[in-house]
Amino acid sequence: MVLKLYGFATSTCTLRVAVVLKEKNVQFEFIPVDLTKGAHKAPEFTAYQPFGQVPYIDDNGLILYESRAICRYIAAKYASHGTPLLPTDPTAIALFEQAASTETSNYDPFVSGLAWELKFAMWFGGKTDEARAKSLQSQLSAKLDIYDLILGKQKYLAGNDITLADLFHLPYGAVLLDIGLDEFSSRPNVARWWKDISSRASWEAVKGGI
Amino acid sequence: MVKLYGFASSTCTRLVALVCKEKDISYELIPVNLAKGEHKHPGFVANQPFGQVPYIDDDGFILYESRAIARYLIKKYPNQGAPLIPSDPKAEALFEQAASIESFNFTAFVAPIVAERVFNPRRGLQPNEERVSELLANLQPKLDAYDLILSKQKYLAGDSVTLADLAHLPYGTAFYGAGFAEVFESRPHLARWWKDISNRPAWLAVKDGA
Repeated sequence: MVLKLYGFATSTCTLRVAVVLKEKNVQFEFIPVDLTKGAHKAPEFTAYQPFGQVPYIDDNGLILYESRAICRYIAAKYASHGTPLLPTDPTAIALFEQAASTETSNYDPFVSGLAWELKFAMWFGGKTDEARAKSLQSQLSAKLDIYDLILGKQKYLAGNDITLADLFHLPYGAVLLDIGLDEFSSRPNVARWWKDISSRASWEAVKGGI
Repeated sequence: MVKLYGFASSTCTRLVALVCKEKDISYELIPVNLAKGEHKHPGFVANQPFGQVPYIDDDGFILYESRAIARYLIKKYPNQGAPLIPSDPKAEALFEQAASIESFNFTAFVAPIVAERVFNPRRGLQPNEERVSELLANLQPKLDAYDLILSKQKYLAGDSVTLADLAHLPYGTAFYGAGFAEVFESRPHLARWWKDISNRPAWLAVKDGA
């Protein structure tokens, strides 16, 4: 039975899973969940994803949610397919985990917060908190200065090979660029890295929506 | 011996110390004086470019991000202490799901609440109560989902304790003690789980200082 991906065609976290499925050449069936109709809060959905969030997968009866967990599962299960996205050597694994955690703590809170303030809040009848947006942008800017240092010494975040940690940055990075917030271009190494990961065929295939 | 660069009361430093206690790993805490800006000094930043604590020096191998350090130490010493990360692919996927839940559905809200209510006063700043209310309002439904999950299984990833459970302890304990105990205690299964993990000897050994 083909892997089923339950999500929203343009949702950041759904796309995070989709780009990895593409990198690993894994066939999947996309089952849309209509967030605008509150389908993600319906009992049929929350029975599988108790937080009422997209995406989740059903891989032959194994239900898994949290996009990064799903990505790790796919990258490990299909290790020998497509691009290797998880290292196997213990030192390289540790440096991958460092990069993955960096995305979680030193990137995601700022980019997702900005995406909310500048784009998504309006979808739910809210408005931009300008002070908060300014603070988040300032913090993101400082973090990306560090990214620029790191990426001046190595090609990707965990070393010289691409890993899941790099791909995790794509969805929110793209949302911000799309609304005109470009903190990448002014930083040469970040710009190089961003151009590299965002021009991969896997991302091109899904970035406009599944 | 693992050199742990951090400070005794730091949440993230204590997560690493906790894992060392769980795995019977000897470590030496090397204090970093944040008040003196040591974490921004060139010698520190050379090892931890984001200027954050903790980082470790394990016989010359430098690693930062507390959850990455935790994972590295757990994988390095599989035969000491509690397993903490499963190796079976399905159990491992459910661990990754739980680890992601901790980051995005718990700490994302709890850490800024703790920052406002506990850290700000220490720095002579007023808590932003509007922000605390907003964060708490977002956290409550997440903890309802926790209560549901923990009504069916003993721990977040299944019936064995994992790093995902332990990662809640540093910020969770600060939150609990900052007047939010009722948020956990009012949810019976969450309360049961919290009592279990917060009374582990390894946590009791480091909770008041790494």
